[in-house]
Amino acid sequence: MAATPSPLKTILALVRGYLPRVVQARGWVLAALAMAPVGLALAFHLVVSLSNHSGNIPPTAALDLFHGVLVKLMLPIMALVAAPAGIREDLEQRTLPLFLTRPAPVWAMPLGKGLLWFGWGGLWLSLAALGLLALGADGETAAYMALALVFAFWAQLAFMTLLGLLFKRGSLWGALFLFIWDPLVRILPNNLQRVTFLHYIESITGSRGTDVSTVQLLAQQQITTPVGISVLVLFGLGLLCWGVSGWKLQSTPIGLAGAEAEG
Amino acid sequence: MSPVISLQRASLRYGDILGLSPTSFELPEGGGIIGLLGPNGAGKSTLIQLVAGLLPPSSGEVLVFGETPFRNPQVLSRLGFVPEGDRFPAGLRADRWLRMMGELSGLGSAQLRAALPRAIATVGMEAHASKPFSRMSKGMRQRIRLAQALLHEPDLLILDEPFNGVDPAARLELMDLLRVLAGQGKRVLVSSHILSEVAMLTERILLLFRGRLLAEGSVPEIRELLDRHPVELRISAASGLAVARWAVEQEELVALRMEDGAAVLAVRNPRSFLPRVQEAVLAGLLPLLALDPLDLNLDAVFHYLTQDHS
Repeated sequence: MAATPSPLKTILALVRGYLPRVVQARGWVLAALAMAPVGLALAFHLVVSLSNHSGNIPPTAALDLFHGVLVKLMLPIMALVAAPAGIREDLEQRTLPLFLTRPAPVWAMPLGKGLLWFGWGGLWLSLAALGLLALGADGETAAYMALALVFAFWAQLAFMTLLGLLFKRGSLWGALFLFIWDPLVRILPNNLQRVTFLHYIESITGSRGTDVSTVQLLAQQQITTPVGISVLVLFGLGLLCWGVSGWKLQSTPIGLAGAEAEG
Repeated sequence: MSPVISLQRASLRYGDILGLSPTSFELPEGGGIIGLLGPNGAGKSTLIQLVAGLLPPSSGEVLVFGETPFRNPQVLSRLGFVPEGDRFPAGLRADRWLRMMGELSGLGSAQLRAALPRAIATVGMEAHASKPFSRMSKGMRQRIRLAQALLHEPDLLILDEPFNGVDPAARLELMDLLRVLAGQGKRVLVSSHILSEVAMLTERILLLFRGRLLAEGSVPEIRELLDRHPVELRISAASGLAVARWAVEQEELVALRMEDGAAVLAVRNPRSFLPRVQEAVLAGLLPLLALDPLDLNLDAVFHYLTQDHS
């Protein structure tokens, strides 16, 4: 008789089993989301420099691209694109019962499927951070940017996965959080800023001056969290979300239709 | 010996909807095929979900191999499950998916090397297992799902509507395969709403209707429960009138109609009636040429039971 697989074996089985998925359409969309801004910016500066015979890239180009596009736009979109390919996908295509009737620990499955997409997305985000070097970021800044992007993606992906298991319209709630709530960090008072992803990303990389100009009527003084703690918070939040997702899946009766019964 | 499956007043509710009324039955240990029969919405899938450990009962108790199956690895490692519907993971090749399912069933690398080709060969998919699911026919995908359930050589195999969407030839092959597995000592629980399918596969059935277990037993046993419902027998004879003359004297006779060279009798309690036919033939009272039961099949049983229940 077969033995009960350990959590680690379960995670590895899911990562290996679904590996081909990352080199299909959704995987390339993720890669494009991470790389396109940097690639386009580099191409733009190349064209400009060829036409003007000047190779100067503005000193703030890398920072602007990182904060304005990668962090605020591409990173949340990547989480929104990758999360539905995790355990939520099995719920929607009704293949989840096949997993749930295996002796493998059910709680490890959201992490197993999510880890693959995190690895793939994290790889491309790291490459995008390397591209920022070419746009003028110094080595240390680029390293912090890579750190912030990878850990923020880890946390956001786990957060979106959890919302996908908690709510039917998990993606919608996730999008509202990432695109409406998170940017409010600028006007959130004091510790409320810590309830945003942007706070920790900006704490890792630095973004704006600690002083606020007088024209920013609603803007609040930025609070900061030490880099190490910010990384730990993002990592811990991710772990917590994967853990709660696993608990939710483990404890919720999910039938053939993907619906919950009153157990 | 503890039963393979034991339900003690197990019921399941989906919110306000009763999926399965309190139901009790036991399946003893040993191989064989059990047919779970009922129309769509009868509660077959609900019962299967309870037994397969997908859902816990709302009340009562469900035991499989003596333990509750919901999220129980000890039970699940002895159980193979093929859910209803054409479910398949998008973007994956069948053999790769099977390997993953084998790993999730607890098979190690060495065990998988033996189990994978064996399961694929059992379902006759050697030539197609390396294809993506999207390029397979429904029947092929059903076979792969069955292979998935067989990988870890379970003691109990549960198949929910396995013949849906499968072409007739593949259906017969699948039936043969299930008979072979049952012959190897595996307990096979098969649900279907198509009565002839179950009748071809097994004599032992559980009949569900509107979330209630209506009857349990072999087709003739269930038929016997219905002694207030007549069984139709066509008695072909040299003289149909002679049959009619003899039949009207029998207390089991409910109705009689004449056909060309035959009399069709509707009788209660065929078990007492048929020996009397035999005696009459031996005594030369009945010029019998042939005797055909017209409705002693699952369709008739099902029809009578559900009609009675409504």
